[in-house]
Amino acid sequence: MRFVLVAAAKDIRRRMADPAALSIWIGLPLLLGGLLSFVSSGASEAPPRARVLLVDQDNTALSALFPTAVRPGNTPIDLEEVALDEGRRRIDAGEATALLVIPAGFQDAVVGTGSARLRLVTNPAERVLPAMVRQMLEVVVEGAFYGRQLFSEPLSRIARSPQSGPAPDADVAAIAVDINQRLTELQGVLLPPVITLSVKTGSGSQPLNFGQLFLPGMLFMAFLFIAQGMSVDVWDEKQEGTLRRLLTTPQSAGRLLLGKLVAGIAVASIVACAGLLGAVALFDLAWSRVPVALLWCAYVCGALLAMLTLLHLFARSQRGSEMLSGVVTFPLMMLGGSFFPFEAMPAWMVAVGRWTPNGLGVTRLKDLLYGDVSATAIGLAAVGIGIPAVLAFVLSWRRLRSFANA
Amino acid sequence: MIDVQQLRKQYGDLVAVDDVSFRAEKGSIFGLLGPNGAGKTTTISCISGLLKPTSGRITVSGHDVVTDGPAARRHLGIVPQELALYSDLSAAANLEFWGSAYGVTGEPLRRRVAEVLALIGLADRGKDHTSTFSGGMKRRLNFGCGIVHNPKVLLLDEPTAGVDPQSRVRLLELVREQARAGTTVIYTTHYMEEAQDLCDRIAIVDRGKLLAMGTLDELRRMVGEKDLVRLAGRFDPAAATRALEAVDDVKVLSAAADVLTIATVGASRKLPAIFTTLASAGSDIHETTLSVPSLESLFITLTGRELRE
Repeated sequence: MRFVLVAAAKDIRRRMADPAALSIWIGLPLLLGGLLSFVSSGASEAPPRARVLLVDQDNTALSALFPTAVRPGNTPIDLEEVALDEGRRRIDAGEATALLVIPAGFQDAVVGTGSARLRLVTNPAERVLPAMVRQMLEVVVEGAFYGRQLFSEPLSRIARSPQSGPAPDADVAAIAVDINQRLTELQGVLLPPVITLSVKTGSGSQPLNFGQLFLPGMLFMAFLFIAQGMSVDVWDEKQEGTLRRLLTTPQSAGRLLLGKLVAGIAVASIVACAGLLGAVALFDLAWSRVPVALLWCAYVCGALLAMLTLLHLFARSQRGSEMLSGVVTFPLMMLGGSFFPFEAMPAWMVAVGRWTPNGLGVTRLKDLLYGDVSATAIGLAAVGIGIPAVLAFVLSWRRLRSFANA
Repeated sequence: MIDVQQLRKQYGDLVAVDDVSFRAEKGSIFGLLGPNGAGKTTTISCISGLLKPTSGRITVSGHDVVTDGPAARRHLGIVPQELALYSDLSAAANLEFWGSAYGVTGEPLRRRVAEVLALIGLADRGKDHTSTFSGGMKRRLNFGCGIVHNPKVLLLDEPTAGVDPQSRVRLLELVREQARAGTTVIYTTHYMEEAQDLCDRIAIVDRGKLLAMGTLDELRRMVGEKDLVRLAGRFDPAAATRALEAVDDVKVLSAAADVLTIATVGASRKLPAIFTTLASAGSDIHETTLSVPSLESLFITLTGRELRE
């Protein structure tokens, strides 16, 4: 064990002799984080709202419910009634999120047996908001469908009632009785509700700002740089002849590799410590969360270093090994939430990226910093990252002697 | 003490070391002399544990290097042919690290580092990064890293290759000092003069085989009193060989279209007869080199080739 620490100290001293590399490992994530934070500085502003232009060609009581239903306080939608021509002109000019046309005969179709086609024209320049509008409209249409299924009889009476003047009292009473009967029949299903909706608000009720979102990824970007930079050291030692010389000493190749891991973990811990202290100062991160987060960072960085070291040992040249590690590291960085936060990535990318070693690391670090995470979840992630890392370490151990002699 | 018995190292069909056996006693310098590719470095690599022998047995201070590797390596110091130093660490830090690798720690290590720095003439440069050192200084530090743990057996693999004459003299003196202190030294070289000056016993190796072994005197006796004559020019190898067989006490060691090597007693007296005979055989001589009996002539006698070919 003593030699492992001696070898680690030696590697750390060598790293300190190359401050340029160290500053790149730490400075690049900071620089990128700063730039992205600057670019996304609007993140703290009010969330964007959808502007929907409504053309009501039906002009009935039912169509008049739309503006009432979509009140600004209830939904992220601002509804504006316009004439059809103006609506077309403005959606063509990209001045709104969507144009909704309620055709004449809409109410009749809903309460009667006919059909009507709602037209929704969306702005292709926007991605999220039109999807929200479409989804909300689908909910409304679905509601109308089920309403018609349940209350077809009373609704058809309403449809048959005179178009002008008040409805006769007998009709109103009959409709009310009919509706009451339907509700009584449905009572067994609806009351108590079959589905219980439980709303749980996380302890961090405040939404995360961009800095908080980016910090875990930024740390892991630094860890990937550290792992990439320090894993290539096996090639540096081979070129300097020290690797062969080390293998002629009584020390095993495993101790030598372990020393390199310890050195990498030490450097990563210093970086993680700085990052986490920054989070305490800037984002009011609780002190109690720092130790476990620090351990997690050190663990995952060690695992990344072990895996990348194995890659280097199978390369035919130092140049080739550096290219190979770059080819592996940068996609990992992009996919695994270490460049952009998962929250800003497409769903398919997140689905893949969360299973990368650094993706698992980022996800759990975020939980450790801002949320609640069980020991089981952390343990499973640790095992998921640890198994390939241990395997990589053992293979590297076996490979090192032939690598040195090649 | 080191004992190598029937060492063989094979890579596929290529036999790099073939049935090599030797033994070096405490305080002696044992030389492995041979040209590049003779198998010297492979032999050293097998002894140091870098390569696993295909067959044979090597023991260092009684420990088998294969079955008891760490214990055997604890007694070994190695000075590799190529520099093996951390260029981004100081000379003292290099020595400290290599000492630690052999289990020397604390005050004894610090004392020994200071001793070695003084021994290799770098006491005033101990804190400087080795990247700022000259080639000779790096060579001396490379040597220092091999002896910082006071090894019982020191393996030196062509330590003077590419070294300036002044540093070479200093290095050879350091090797002698180690042997005087009781260290067993295995010294590989392709410099015949170094082997003659330095080694108590010498093994001549070529193409993986050990061709001859003994003290310098024993090896010289193998050559006999014959001088070596090397003739450069244009020859018909078969005709020249046939013609020279007629000259008394002349032996053709090798014959090629451009070089002819012969061994004979009192070569200077026989040269006129040799020239006349070769001229009659249609040869055209451009250059003549005469060597007295030496390791070089023994090597040529044994292999038909020069040591540096």
